[in-house]
Amino acid sequence: MLYVWMDASSMTLPARGAGRSAVLSPAFERLFRSEYARVVGIAHRVLADQDGAEDVAQDVFLSFYRAHPGDAEYAAAWLHAAAAHSALNALRARGRRGRREAAQAVSADTPAGDDPAELVTAAETQDEVRAVLARLPERSAALLALRYAGLSYSEIAAALDVRASSIGTLLRRAEESFRREMR
Amino acid sequence: MNESEIERGLGTAEPRVDTEAALARLRTRIEDEGVVAAPPAIRRRVPARWLQGLAAAAGVVLVASALTLSGVADSILKIFEPRSIVGVPITQQDLSYLGQACAGLDLQQCMGTYGTFEWTTPPQPKEVQSLASASSTAGYSVQTPSSLPASVTGPTRYGVINRSSATFTFSAGATQQAATRQGRTAPPMPANIDGSHLYMTAGPAVFQVWGAPASTGRGPQPDPIPTLVVGQAKAPVVTSDGVTVDQLRTYLLQQPGVSPQLAAAIRAIGDPASTLPVPVPAELAVSHPVTVQGVQGLFIGDNTGIASAIIWQKDGMMFEVIGSLTERQAVDIANSMR
Repeated sequence: MLYVWMDASSMTLPARGAGRSAVLSPAFERLFRSEYARVVGIAHRVLADQDGAEDVAQDVFLSFYRAHPGDAEYAAAWLHAAAAHSALNALRARGRRGRREAAQAVSADTPAGDDPAELVTAAETQDEVRAVLARLPERSAALLALRYAGLSYSEIAAALDVRASSIGTLLRRAEESFRREMR
Repeated sequence: MNESEIERGLGTAEPRVDTEAALARLRTRIEDEGVVAAPPAIRRRVPARWLQGLAAAAGVVLVASALTLSGVADSILKIFEPRSIVGVPITQQDLSYLGQACAGLDLQQCMGTYGTFEWTTPPQPKEVQSLASASSTAGYSVQTPSSLPASVTGPTRYGVINRSSATFTFSAGATQQAATRQGRTAPPMPANIDGSHLYMTAGPAVFQVWGAPASTGRGPQPDPIPTLVVGQAKAPVVTSDGVTVDQLRTYLLQQPGVSPQLAAAIRAIGDPASTLPVPVPAELAVSHPVTVQGVQGLFIGDNTGIASAIIWQKDGMMFEVIGSLTERQAVDIANSMR
């Protein structure tokens, strides 16, 4: 059957109460356990902010839960793409001040040393990197986020729905754009 | 800057996550927010081409126009007023046919497939400088969101489209000629439809747009995609001088290329004289009813979860919220409109 007609009766909700937790399908729970860290990792590459990345991951899994079966063969690719796009949206929404605060927070955790000057430089670089990501075309920025989060060419191809043979070229172009913007 | 430097720039320390705690948080959120998984039948294989999905959604506006007409001509001078809104899944196959039928054509030309379309008062969009000016121009109080998510920034632009009207005259000859051009055979147009008229009026409509600043005139930069568009319009009014809604619906659904599934979906609309069908690309977007402002509206989202739309009707007005939003953000915006 092509579809089910949607009406109010299809939206009947279970009784709700604060503090209760929903019972999820085993397939969705397996998917969550296998992909959560990866989804957070993708968002973290974009935002450089763990709390923000985990918030993005929650929204991404919630969107998936609402619309797709947990055992869908495309689940991982969907989640990866949604993580990159959602994190980029959140990044653009933050503006310069928010990016700088996140960059300062993350630079304090990086092994740049205790030298205040080094910390300031690291923070400025992080800030600039995020500003560049926010300015890049959506696909280029998503491509960089996915690649530098550790996804393989075939995983990136599945997420962005492009041919795996094109990823190398697309990635080079995205890196060139990134370098140009960083100058 | 080489690859390793890019990696350093993008490379933040790998986050350490507590997956079980995160899963518990999601379970609680699903319970507290009453989130339900979509019915199995609307779960679909979804390509990541969200932009294509939006383009497809824009394309089927033509279908919306035609389908709306099918539900409006109940009897002579019967006024159609949408009181409910439903999503009608449109498949790639349906889109392919409709794209072929209307490829490269505007609304007027596309409707010319079935007869003669003439604007009696054409729509003339214009930009105004303030919400007050938009209300004054439209002639009604324009609602605006009282709160916006952090992702929606920048100044608001206001557009007003005047109350527009058009007449459509069905023509059996034009229909046959269009079918012949496409190498198809159209079913014969019933005699009482041939030559009958639909009189349509719509608007005024007001659009509030965020994230699309006016062009600076410096360089050939493309217009940015707005982050949020809020629309409000007086509900459309359509009258007819000779065809019943059932006759018209039956005829339109017999057209070549309208799949049996799409036809069944349209026929399933219980009260076509007061229901606005909104086409939803079946493979590229999901939709479900949603309650906003105390009434039932329709949520449409592309399948990446980064673009959403809510359409609802209240007190004779149609409203829409469209943007790069999560469903929750879209609902919050809709509920904050005053």
